[in-house]
Amino acid sequence: MNSIKDNIAISDFIFSLKNIYSWTYLAYFDLKLKYRRAFLGPWWIVLGMAISAGLMCLLWSTIFNLDWKSYLTYLFSGFIIWMWISGQVIEAPQIFYTDASRFMKSYSNPPIFYVFRKCYINLLLFLHHIPLIIIVTALVNGRIDYTAFLSLPLGLFIVFINFIFFTSILGMLGARYRDIEPTVKSLMPPMLLLTPILWKPEMLGEYAGLIYWNPFVYFVGIVRDDLIGLPFDIYIWIGALVITFIQMLIFLILYSKKRDRVVFWI
Amino acid sequence: MNSNITLKNVYLDFPLYDVASRSFRNEITELGKKMGFARQETNEKGRKIIQGLKNVNLEINHGEKVAIVGPNGSGKTTLLRLIAGIYHPTSGEIKCTGNINSMLDIGFGLESDATGYENILLSHILRGMRKNEIKNKLKEVAEFTGLHDFLDLPLRIYSEGMKARLAFSSSMCVVPDIFLIDEFFSTGDMEFSKRSRDKLLDLMGSSSILIFASHDFSALKSICNKAIYITNGEIQFFGNIDDAFEIYKNSQLQDG
Repeated sequence: MNSIKDNIAISDFIFSLKNIYSWTYLAYFDLKLKYRRAFLGPWWIVLGMAISAGLMCLLWSTIFNLDWKSYLTYLFSGFIIWMWISGQVIEAPQIFYTDASRFMKSYSNPPIFYVFRKCYINLLLFLHHIPLIIIVTALVNGRIDYTAFLSLPLGLFIVFINFIFFTSILGMLGARYRDIEPTVKSLMPPMLLLTPILWKPEMLGEYAGLIYWNPFVYFVGIVRDDLIGLPFDIYIWIGALVITFIQMLIFLILYSKKRDRVVFWI
Repeated sequence: MNSNITLKNVYLDFPLYDVASRSFRNEITELGKKMGFARQETNEKGRKIIQGLKNVNLEINHGEKVAIVGPNGSGKTTLLRLIAGIYHPTSGEIKCTGNINSMLDIGFGLESDATGYENILLSHILRGMRKNEIKNKLKEVAEFTGLHDFLDLPLRIYSEGMKARLAFSSSMCVVPDIFLIDEFFSTGDMEFSKRSRDKLLDLMGSSSILIFASHDFSALKSICNKAIYITNGEIQFFGNIDDAFEIYKNSQLQDG
Protein backbone atom coordinates (compact mmCIF):
# COMPACT_ATOMS: atom_id res chain seq x y z
CA MET A 1 0.00 0.00 0.00
CA ASN A 2 2.82 2.29 0.90
CA SER A 3 4.40 1.99 -2.51
CA ILE A 4 1.20 3.12 -4.24
CA LYS A 5 0.98 6.21 -2.06
CA ASP A 6 4.63 6.96 -2.71
CA ASN A 7 3.95 7.32 -6.40
CA ILE A 8 4.17 11.04 -7.12
CA ALA A 9 1.33 10.98 -9.65
CA ILE A 10 -1.03 9.41 -7.14
CA SER A 11 0.06 11.55 -4.23
CA ASP A 12 -0.31 14.73 -6.31
CA PHE A 13 -3.75 13.57 -7.42
CA ILE A 14 -4.76 13.00 -3.81
CA PHE A 15 -3.27 16.36 -2.83
CA SER A 16 -5.50 18.04 -5.42
CA LEU A 17 -8.58 16.17 -4.23
CA LYS A 18 -7.85 17.26 -0.67
CA ASN A 19 -7.43 20.84 -1.82
CA ILE A 20 -10.66 20.92 -3.78
CA TYR A 21 -11.60 24.12 -1.98
CA SER A 22 -8.57 25.96 -3.40
CA TRP A 23 -8.94 25.11 -7.07
CA THR A 24 -12.71 25.45 -7.14
CA TYR A 25 -12.39 28.86 -5.50
CA LEU A 26 -9.65 29.95 -7.91
CA ALA A 27 -11.74 28.80 -10.87
CA TYR A 28 -14.80 30.60 -9.58
CA PHE A 29 -12.73 33.72 -9.02
CA ASP A 30 -11.29 33.53 -12.54
CA LEU A 31 -14.77 33.58 -14.02
CA LYS A 32 -15.86 36.36 -11.72
CA LEU A 33 -12.88 38.45 -12.79
CA LYS A 34 -13.44 37.74 -16.45
CA TYR A 35 -16.97 39.09 -16.41
CA ARG A 36 -16.56 41.80 -13.82
CA ARG A 37 -17.00 44.65 -16.22
CA ALA A 38 -19.49 43.00 -18.56
CA PHE A 39 -23.19 43.63 -18.06
CA LEU A 40 -24.42 40.19 -19.07
CA GLY A 41 -21.32 38.43 -17.73
CA PRO A 42 -21.03 34.78 -18.67
CA TRP A 43 -24.42 34.96 -20.36
CA TRP A 44 -22.73 36.65 -23.28
CA ILE A 45 -21.23 33.31 -24.18
CA VAL A 46 -24.58 31.60 -23.83
CA LEU A 47 -26.15 34.19 -26.06
CA GLY A 48 -23.37 33.89 -28.62
CA MET A 49 -23.61 30.12 -28.55
CA ALA A 50 -27.40 30.23 -28.98
CA ILE A 51 -27.09 32.50 -31.99
CA SER A 52 -24.39 30.51 -33.78
CA ALA A 53 -25.94 27.12 -33.03
CA GLY A 54 -29.38 28.39 -34.06
CA LEU A 55 -28.10 29.77 -37.35
CA MET A 56 -26.22 26.56 -38.10
CA CYS A 57 -29.37 24.52 -37.53
CA LEU A 58 -31.32 26.69 -39.90
CA LEU A 59 -28.63 26.52 -42.55
CA TRP A 60 -27.79 22.83 -42.37
CA SER A 61 -31.33 21.53 -42.04
CA THR A 62 -32.13 23.44 -45.25
CA ILE A 63 -29.02 22.22 -47.07
CA PHE A 64 -29.47 18.60 -46.00
CA ASN A 65 -33.22 18.88 -46.41
CA LEU A 66 -33.86 17.40 -42.96
CA ASP A 67 -36.68 17.33 -40.47
CA TRP A 68 -35.61 20.47 -38.62
CA LYS A 69 -37.17 19.46 -35.31
CA SER A 70 -35.02 16.46 -34.54
CA TYR A 71 -32.03 18.04 -36.25
CA LEU A 72 -32.27 21.20 -34.14
CA THR A 73 -31.90 19.41 -30.82
CA TYR A 74 -29.22 17.12 -32.25
CA LEU A 75 -27.00 19.84 -33.65
CA PHE A 76 -27.65 22.31 -30.87
CA SER A 77 -26.61 19.93 -28.10
CA GLY A 78 -23.76 18.39 -30.08
CA PHE A 79 -22.30 21.75 -31.01
CA ILE A 80 -22.40 23.07 -27.45
CA ILE A 81 -20.75 19.93 -26.08
CA TRP A 82 -18.17 20.10 -28.87
CA MET A 83 -17.25 23.68 -27.96
CA TRP A 84 -16.54 22.53 -24.42
CA ILE A 85 -14.46 19.54 -25.47
CA SER A 86 -12.49 21.25 -28.22
CA GLY A 87 -11.90 24.31 -26.02
CA GLN A 88 -10.33 22.12 -23.37
CA VAL A 89 -8.26 20.18 -25.89
CA ILE A 90 -6.91 23.34 -27.54
CA GLU A 91 -5.98 24.87 -24.20
CA ALA A 92 -4.35 21.71 -22.86
CA PRO A 93 -0.85 22.00 -24.43
CA GLN A 94 -0.27 25.52 -23.15
CA ILE A 95 -1.71 25.15 -19.67
CA PHE A 96 1.63 25.01 -17.87
CA TYR A 97 3.57 27.58 -19.81
CA THR A 98 0.94 30.27 -20.06
CA ASP A 99 -1.79 29.79 -17.51
CA ALA A 100 -0.01 28.29 -14.59
CA SER A 101 3.62 29.32 -15.01
CA ARG A 102 3.48 32.37 -12.78
CA PHE A 103 1.95 30.30 -9.99
CA MET A 104 4.23 27.34 -10.47
CA LYS A 105 7.31 29.50 -9.93
CA SER A 106 5.99 31.01 -6.73
CA TYR A 107 4.03 28.26 -4.99
CA SER A 108 4.83 24.64 -4.38
CA ASN A 109 1.45 23.26 -5.51
CA PRO A 110 1.92 20.32 -7.90
CA PRO A 111 1.30 20.84 -11.66
CA ILE A 112 -1.89 18.78 -11.61
CA PHE A 113 -3.43 21.21 -9.12
CA TYR A 114 -3.55 23.80 -11.93
CA VAL A 115 -4.97 21.21 -14.31
CA PHE A 116 -7.89 20.70 -11.94
CA ARG A 117 -8.43 24.45 -11.81
CA LYS A 118 -8.45 24.81 -15.60
CA CYS A 119 -10.74 21.83 -16.20
CA TYR A 120 -13.13 23.12 -13.57
CA ILE A 121 -13.29 26.58 -15.19
CA ASN A 122 -14.27 24.96 -18.49
CA LEU A 123 -16.79 22.69 -16.79
CA LEU A 124 -18.43 25.70 -15.12
CA LEU A 125 -18.64 27.48 -18.45
CA PHE A 126 -20.23 24.42 -20.03
CA LEU A 127 -22.76 24.12 -17.21
CA HIS A 128 -24.00 27.58 -18.17
CA HIS A 129 -25.10 26.13 -21.46
CA ILE A 130 -26.96 23.07 -20.22
CA PRO A 131 -30.18 25.02 -19.54
CA LEU A 132 -30.01 26.14 -23.17
CA ILE A 133 -30.00 22.52 -24.37
CA ILE A 134 -32.86 21.66 -22.01
CA ILE A 135 -34.95 24.62 -23.10
CA VAL A 136 -34.45 23.97 -26.79
CA THR A 137 -35.22 20.26 -26.38
CA ALA A 138 -38.33 21.01 -24.32
CA LEU A 139 -39.56 23.56 -26.86
CA VAL A 140 -39.08 21.20 -29.76
CA ASN A 141 -40.57 18.14 -28.02
CA GLY A 142 -43.26 20.08 -26.19
CA ARG A 143 -42.31 18.47 -22.84
CA ILE A 144 -39.38 17.84 -20.52
CA ASP A 145 -38.27 14.26 -20.13
CA TYR A 146 -36.75 14.05 -16.67
CA THR A 147 -35.21 10.62 -17.15
CA ALA A 148 -32.97 12.29 -19.73
CA PHE A 149 -30.91 13.79 -16.91
CA LEU A 150 -30.20 10.56 -15.06
CA SER A 151 -26.97 9.78 -16.85
CA LEU A 152 -25.86 13.39 -17.16
CA PRO A 153 -23.83 13.60 -13.91
CA LEU A 154 -22.05 10.35 -14.72
CA GLY A 155 -21.33 11.50 -18.27
CA LEU A 156 -19.97 14.82 -17.07
CA PHE A 157 -17.85 13.09 -14.44
CA ILE A 158 -16.27 10.74 -16.98
CA VAL A 159 -15.50 13.60 -19.36
CA PHE A 160 -14.06 15.67 -16.49
CA ILE A 161 -11.75 12.92 -15.25
CA ASN A 162 -10.59 12.31 -18.83
CA PHE A 163 -9.83 15.99 -19.16
CA ILE A 164 -7.69 15.83 -16.02
CA PHE A 165 -5.57 13.00 -17.46
CA PHE A 166 -5.55 14.38 -20.98
CA THR A 167 -4.67 17.95 -19.99
CA SER A 168 -1.87 16.74 -17.71
CA ILE A 169 -0.38 14.59 -20.46
CA LEU A 170 -0.72 17.12 -23.26
CA GLY A 171 0.23 19.98 -20.94
CA MET A 172 3.54 18.30 -20.11
CA LEU A 173 4.28 17.39 -23.72
CA GLY A 174 3.22 20.84 -24.87
CA ALA A 175 5.50 22.55 -22.36
CA ARG A 176 8.45 20.49 -23.53
CA TYR A 177 7.70 20.53 -27.28
CA ARG A 178 6.24 23.83 -28.36
CA ASP A 179 5.04 22.49 -31.72
CA ILE A 180 2.24 20.56 -30.08
CA GLU A 181 0.07 23.55 -29.36
CA PRO A 182 -0.20 24.80 -32.99
CA THR A 183 -0.62 21.19 -34.19
CA VAL A 184 -3.55 20.57 -31.88
CA LYS A 185 -5.06 23.92 -32.76
CA SER A 186 -5.04 23.10 -36.45
CA LEU A 187 -6.38 19.57 -35.95
CA MET A 188 -9.49 20.49 -34.01
CA PRO A 189 -11.54 22.22 -36.75
CA PRO A 190 -11.31 19.18 -39.08
CA MET A 191 -12.19 16.97 -36.10
CA LEU A 192 -15.47 18.85 -35.83
CA LEU A 193 -16.30 17.73 -39.35
CA LEU A 194 -15.28 14.13 -38.63
CA THR A 195 -17.38 13.86 -35.47
CA PRO A 196 -21.13 13.24 -35.79
CA ILE A 197 -22.31 16.67 -34.73
CA LEU A 198 -23.35 18.41 -37.93
CA TRP A 199 -24.46 15.08 -39.39
CA LYS A 200 -25.93 11.86 -38.02
CA PRO A 201 -24.09 8.51 -38.22
CA GLU A 202 -26.91 6.88 -40.22
CA MET A 203 -26.31 9.41 -43.01
CA LEU A 204 -23.03 7.57 -43.66
CA GLY A 205 -24.96 4.46 -44.66
CA GLU A 206 -22.71 1.42 -44.75
CA TYR A 207 -19.78 3.45 -43.40
CA ALA A 208 -21.59 4.35 -40.18
CA GLY A 209 -19.37 1.96 -38.17
CA LEU A 210 -16.32 4.05 -38.98
CA ILE A 211 -17.30 6.68 -36.43
CA TYR A 212 -16.18 4.37 -33.62
CA TRP A 213 -12.57 5.03 -34.63
CA ASN A 214 -12.97 8.62 -33.54
CA PRO A 215 -12.34 8.98 -29.79
CA PHE A 216 -14.38 12.18 -29.60
CA VAL A 217 -17.51 10.25 -30.53
CA TYR A 218 -17.56 8.59 -27.11
CA PHE A 219 -17.28 11.75 -25.07
CA VAL A 220 -19.82 13.71 -27.09
CA GLY A 221 -22.07 10.64 -26.96
CA ILE A 222 -22.09 9.99 -23.21
CA VAL A 223 -23.15 13.57 -22.52
CA ARG A 224 -25.47 14.17 -25.46
CA ASP A 225 -27.36 11.02 -26.31
CA ASP A 226 -29.53 10.64 -23.22
CA LEU A 227 -30.09 14.36 -22.97
CA ILE A 228 -31.86 14.54 -26.32
CA GLY A 229 -33.39 11.07 -26.18
CA LEU A 230 -31.21 9.19 -28.67
CA PRO A 231 -31.29 5.37 -28.30
CA PHE A 232 -28.91 4.00 -25.66
CA ASP A 233 -25.65 2.74 -27.16
CA ILE A 234 -23.64 0.55 -24.80
CA TYR A 235 -20.54 0.74 -27.01
CA ILE A 236 -20.33 4.47 -26.45
CA TRP A 237 -20.09 3.97 -22.68
CA ILE A 238 -17.69 1.04 -22.90
CA GLY A 239 -15.50 2.98 -25.32
CA ALA A 240 -15.41 5.99 -23.01
CA LEU A 241 -14.36 3.81 -20.08
CA VAL A 242 -11.64 2.07 -22.10
CA ILE A 243 -10.21 5.42 -23.20
CA THR A 244 -10.32 6.66 -19.61
CA PHE A 245 -8.32 3.64 -18.52
CA ILE A 246 -5.71 4.07 -21.26
CA GLN A 247 -5.32 7.76 -20.52
CA MET A 248 -4.95 7.00 -16.84
CA LEU A 249 -2.08 4.60 -17.55
CA ILE A 250 -0.27 7.09 -19.78
CA PHE A 251 -0.82 9.78 -17.18
CA LEU A 252 0.57 7.64 -14.36
CA ILE A 253 3.71 6.75 -16.29
CA LEU A 254 4.46 10.16 -17.78
CA TYR A 255 3.54 12.19 -14.72
CA SER A 256 5.53 10.14 -12.25
CA LYS A 257 8.58 10.29 -14.50
CA LYS A 258 8.57 13.90 -15.59
CA ARG A 259 6.57 15.84 -13.03
CA ASP A 260 9.65 17.42 -11.43
CA ARG A 261 10.93 18.64 -14.78
CA VAL A 262 7.83 20.59 -15.80
CA VAL A 263 8.89 23.68 -13.89
CA PHE A 264 12.08 23.87 -15.97
CA TRP A 265 10.15 23.71 -19.23
CA ILE A 266 7.94 26.72 -18.59
CA MET B 1 8.76 20.55 16.85
CA ASN B 2 12.18 21.74 15.81
CA SER B 3 12.42 22.85 12.22
CA ASN B 4 15.40 21.82 10.17
CA ILE B 5 16.69 21.95 6.61
CA THR B 6 19.27 19.47 5.38
CA LEU B 7 20.75 19.30 1.89
CA LYS B 8 23.13 16.51 0.96
CA ASN B 9 25.21 16.58 -2.24
CA VAL B 10 22.51 18.47 -4.06
CA TYR B 11 22.98 19.19 -7.74
CA LEU B 12 20.45 21.03 -9.83
CA ASP B 13 20.74 21.32 -13.60
CA PHE B 14 18.63 23.52 -15.80
CA PRO B 15 18.03 22.05 -19.25
CA LEU B 16 18.49 24.34 -22.25
CA TYR B 17 16.07 23.84 -25.11
CA ASP B 18 16.15 26.73 -27.53
CA VAL B 19 17.65 25.17 -30.62
CA ALA B 20 17.64 28.32 -32.70
CA SER B 21 19.72 30.39 -30.34
CA ARG B 22 22.09 27.59 -29.57
CA SER B 23 25.00 28.57 -31.78
CA PHE B 24 25.01 32.13 -30.56
CA ARG B 25 24.78 30.91 -27.03
CA ASN B 26 27.65 28.53 -27.61
CA GLU B 27 29.90 31.37 -28.53
CA ILE B 28 29.06 33.29 -25.43
CA THR B 29 29.60 30.18 -23.36
CA GLU B 30 32.96 29.51 -24.90
CA LEU B 31 33.92 33.06 -24.08
CA GLY B 32 32.57 32.54 -20.56
CA LYS B 33 34.55 29.35 -20.13
CA LYS B 34 37.74 31.15 -21.01
CA MET B 35 36.93 33.77 -18.43
CA GLY B 36 36.06 31.07 -15.95
CA PHE B 37 32.45 31.82 -15.00
CA ALA B 38 30.31 29.78 -17.37
CA ARG B 39 28.29 26.93 -15.95
CA GLN B 40 27.00 25.52 -19.20
CA GLU B 41 27.84 21.87 -19.61
CA THR B 42 26.72 18.89 -21.61
CA ASN B 43 25.27 16.08 -19.53
CA GLU B 44 25.73 12.36 -20.13
CA LYS B 45 22.77 12.28 -22.53
CA GLY B 46 24.39 14.95 -24.69
CA ARG B 47 21.95 17.67 -23.66
CA LYS B 48 22.98 21.20 -22.94
CA ILE B 49 22.47 22.13 -19.33
CA ILE B 50 23.24 24.95 -16.97
CA GLN B 51 24.46 23.88 -13.58
CA GLY B 52 22.23 25.86 -11.26
CA LEU B 53 23.59 24.36 -8.06
CA LYS B 54 26.69 22.23 -7.59
CA ASN B 55 27.31 19.88 -4.71
CA VAL B 56 25.41 21.83 -2.08
CA ASN B 57 25.72 20.52 1.46
CA LEU B 58 23.90 22.49 4.07
CA GLU B 59 22.33 22.10 7.45
CA ILE B 60 20.20 24.86 8.89
CA ASN B 61 18.73 24.37 12.31
CA HIS B 62 15.96 25.71 14.46
CA GLY B 63 16.40 29.38 15.31
CA GLU B 64 18.98 30.16 12.66
CA LYS B 65 18.47 33.24 10.56
CA VAL B 66 20.52 32.89 7.47
CA ALA B 67 21.46 35.53 4.91
CA ILE B 68 22.32 34.51 1.36
CA VAL B 69 24.74 36.76 -0.47
CA GLY B 70 26.42 36.49 -3.82
CA PRO B 71 26.55 38.19 -7.20
CA ASN B 72 23.61 38.18 -9.65
CA GLY B 73 23.03 34.78 -11.17
CA SER B 74 25.01 32.98 -8.52
CA GLY B 75 22.15 30.70 -7.48
CA LYS B 76 20.51 32.54 -4.58
CA THR B 77 16.97 32.35 -5.94
CA THR B 78 17.53 28.81 -7.20
CA LEU B 79 18.56 27.70 -3.74
CA LEU B 80 15.49 29.34 -2.21
CA ARG B 81 13.18 27.79 -4.78
CA LEU B 82 14.72 24.41 -4.11
CA ILE B 83 14.08 24.68 -0.40
CA ALA B 84 10.56 25.97 -1.10
CA GLY B 85 9.80 22.79 -3.06
CA ILE B 86 9.34 24.59 -6.38
CA TYR B 87 12.48 23.10 -7.90
CA HIS B 88 13.56 19.53 -7.33
CA PRO B 89 17.21 18.44 -7.24
CA THR B 90 18.66 16.60 -10.22
CA SER B 91 20.59 14.48 -7.75
CA GLY B 92 21.18 14.53 -4.03
CA GLU B 93 18.86 14.73 -1.08
CA ILE B 94 16.84 17.48 0.48
CA LYS B 95 14.93 17.23 3.73
CA CYS B 96 12.85 19.97 5.32
CA THR B 97 11.07 19.62 8.64
CA GLY B 98 8.44 22.26 9.34
CA ASN B 99 5.93 24.11 7.23
CA ILE B 100 7.35 26.55 4.73
CA ASN B 101 6.17 29.96 3.68
CA SER B 102 7.99 31.88 1.02
CA MET B 103 8.12 35.27 -0.60
CA LEU B 104 10.22 34.67 -3.64
CA ASP B 105 8.59 36.77 -6.27
CA ILE B 106 6.97 40.16 -5.96
CA GLY B 107 4.59 39.07 -8.67
CA PHE B 108 3.73 35.92 -6.65
CA GLY B 109 1.09 35.09 -9.20
CA LEU B 110 -0.70 38.37 -8.73
CA GLU B 111 -3.84 38.98 -10.75
CA SER B 112 -3.63 42.42 -12.32
CA ASP B 113 -7.37 42.86 -12.73
CA ALA B 114 -8.16 41.91 -9.16
CA THR B 115 -8.08 44.45 -6.34
CA GLY B 116 -5.45 44.56 -3.61
CA TYR B 117 -7.82 42.88 -1.16
CA GLU B 118 -8.65 40.13 -3.61
CA ASN B 119 -4.99 39.51 -4.30
CA ILE B 120 -4.29 39.07 -0.61
CA LEU B 121 -7.13 36.56 -0.56
CA LEU B 122 -5.94 34.72 -3.67
CA SER B 123 -2.38 34.36 -2.44
CA HIS B 124 -3.69 32.62 0.66
CA ILE B 125 -6.05 30.40 -1.26
CA LEU B 126 -3.03 29.34 -3.31
CA ARG B 127 -1.27 28.50 -0.06
CA GLY B 128 -4.13 26.18 0.79
CA MET B 129 -6.11 28.34 3.22
CA ARG B 130 -9.86 28.91 3.27
CA LYS B 131 -11.63 32.19 2.82
CA ASN B 132 -13.00 32.35 6.35
CA GLU B 133 -9.57 31.63 7.83
CA ILE B 134 -8.20 34.66 6.05
CA LYS B 135 -11.04 37.02 6.81
CA ASN B 136 -9.89 37.62 10.38
CA LYS B 137 -6.40 38.47 9.25
CA LEU B 138 -7.36 40.60 6.30
CA LYS B 139 -7.71 43.76 8.37
CA GLU B 140 -4.32 43.28 9.96
CA VAL B 141 -2.68 42.76 6.57
CA ALA B 142 -4.50 45.72 5.05
CA GLU B 143 -3.30 47.97 7.85
CA PHE B 144 0.25 46.76 7.52
CA THR B 145 0.40 47.49 3.79
CA GLY B 146 -0.43 51.14 4.47
CA LEU B 147 -2.05 51.23 1.05
CA HIS B 148 -5.46 52.28 2.43
CA ASP B 149 -7.94 53.06 -0.35
CA PHE B 150 -5.66 51.62 -3.01
CA LEU B 151 -6.57 48.15 -1.78
CA ASP B 152 -9.97 48.56 -3.40
CA LEU B 153 -8.43 49.32 -6.77
CA PRO B 154 -7.19 46.82 -9.34
CA LEU B 155 -3.55 45.90 -9.14
CA ARG B 156 -2.71 47.06 -12.64
CA ILE B 157 -2.53 50.68 -11.44
CA TYR B 158 -0.06 49.82 -8.63
CA SER B 159 3.59 50.78 -8.81
CA GLU B 160 6.27 48.15 -8.27
CA GLY B 161 6.84 49.45 -4.77
CA MET B 162 3.17 49.14 -3.92
CA LYS B 163 3.08 45.59 -5.26
CA ALA B 164 6.07 44.73 -3.11
CA ARG B 165 4.28 46.11 -0.07
CA LEU B 166 1.23 44.03 -0.84
CA ALA B 167 3.24 40.88 -1.46
CA PHE B 168 5.30 41.23 1.69
CA SER B 169 2.37 42.13 3.92
CA SER B 170 0.20 39.29 2.79
CA SER B 171 2.93 36.71 3.21
CA MET B 172 3.43 37.97 6.75
CA CYS B 173 -0.02 36.78 7.63
CA VAL B 174 1.00 33.14 7.91
CA VAL B 175 3.63 32.44 10.52
CA PRO B 176 5.64 29.47 9.25
CA ASP B 177 8.36 27.30 10.75
CA ILE B 178 10.55 28.13 7.79
CA PHE B 179 10.34 31.47 6.06
CA LEU B 180 12.11 32.17 2.75
CA ILE B 181 12.50 35.65 1.32
CA ASP B 182 14.08 36.80 -1.88
CA GLU B 183 15.17 40.42 -1.93
CA PHE B 184 12.37 42.93 -1.92
CA PHE B 185 13.31 45.69 0.50
CA SER B 186 14.89 47.57 -2.36
CA THR B 187 11.50 48.38 -3.86
CA GLY B 188 9.76 49.62 -0.73
CA ASP B 189 10.27 53.12 0.63
CA MET B 190 12.33 53.79 3.78
CA GLU B 191 9.41 53.86 6.12
CA PHE B 192 8.03 50.54 4.87
CA SER B 193 11.46 48.90 4.82
CA LYS B 194 11.92 49.74 8.46
CA ARG B 195 8.45 48.57 9.38
CA SER B 196 8.84 45.28 7.55
CA ARG B 197 12.24 44.71 9.13
CA ASP B 198 10.72 45.19 12.59
CA LYS B 199 7.82 42.94 11.71
CA LEU B 200 10.18 40.23 10.48
CA LEU B 201 12.24 40.40 13.65
CA ASP B 202 9.10 40.25 15.68
CA LEU B 203 7.75 37.21 13.81
CA MET B 204 11.06 35.43 13.61
CA GLY B 205 12.02 36.17 17.20
CA SER B 206 10.15 33.11 18.27
CA SER B 207 12.95 30.96 16.84
CA SER B 208 11.89 29.55 13.52
CA ILE B 209 14.19 29.40 10.51
CA LEU B 210 14.56 32.38 8.22
CA ILE B 211 16.49 32.43 4.95
CA PHE B 212 16.84 35.79 3.33
CA ALA B 213 18.61 36.57 0.05
CA SER B 214 19.50 40.18 -0.56
CA HIS B 215 22.16 42.68 -1.56
CA ASP B 216 21.20 45.01 1.26
CA PHE B 217 23.89 44.30 3.84
CA SER B 218 22.45 46.50 6.55
CA ALA B 219 19.03 44.84 6.27
CA LEU B 220 20.64 41.42 6.40
CA LYS B 221 22.80 42.31 9.38
CA SER B 222 19.88 43.60 11.39
CA ILE B 223 17.93 40.37 10.89
CA CYS B 224 20.31 37.45 10.33
CA ASN B 225 22.90 35.75 12.48
CA LYS B 226 24.54 33.53 9.86
CA ALA B 227 25.27 33.84 6.17
CA ILE B 228 25.82 31.78 3.04
CA TYR B 229 28.12 33.15 0.37
CA ILE B 230 27.37 31.56 -2.98
CA THR B 231 28.96 31.98 -6.42
CA ASN B 232 28.52 29.97 -9.61
CA GLY B 233 26.04 27.68 -7.91
CA GLU B 234 28.51 26.58 -5.27
CA ILE B 235 28.42 27.46 -1.62
CA GLN B 236 31.76 29.08 -0.85
CA PHE B 237 31.14 29.82 2.78
CA PHE B 238 28.53 29.17 5.44
CA GLY B 239 28.97 30.57 8.92
CA ASN B 240 29.42 33.81 10.75
CA ILE B 241 27.71 36.69 8.95
CA ASP B 242 30.59 39.15 9.26
CA ASP B 243 33.08 36.67 7.88
CA ALA B 244 30.79 35.92 4.93
CA PHE B 245 30.43 39.60 4.10
CA GLU B 246 34.18 40.04 4.36
CA ILE B 247 34.88 37.20 1.93
CA TYR B 248 32.20 38.39 -0.47
CA LYS B 249 33.49 41.96 -0.45
CA ASN B 250 37.07 40.86 -0.98
CA SER B 251 36.14 38.68 -3.94
CA GLN B 252 34.16 41.53 -5.50
CA LEU B 253 37.15 43.84 -5.08
CA GLN B 254 39.42 41.31 -6.72
CA ASP B 255 37.09 40.94 -9.69
CA GLY B 256 36.68 44.68 -9.99
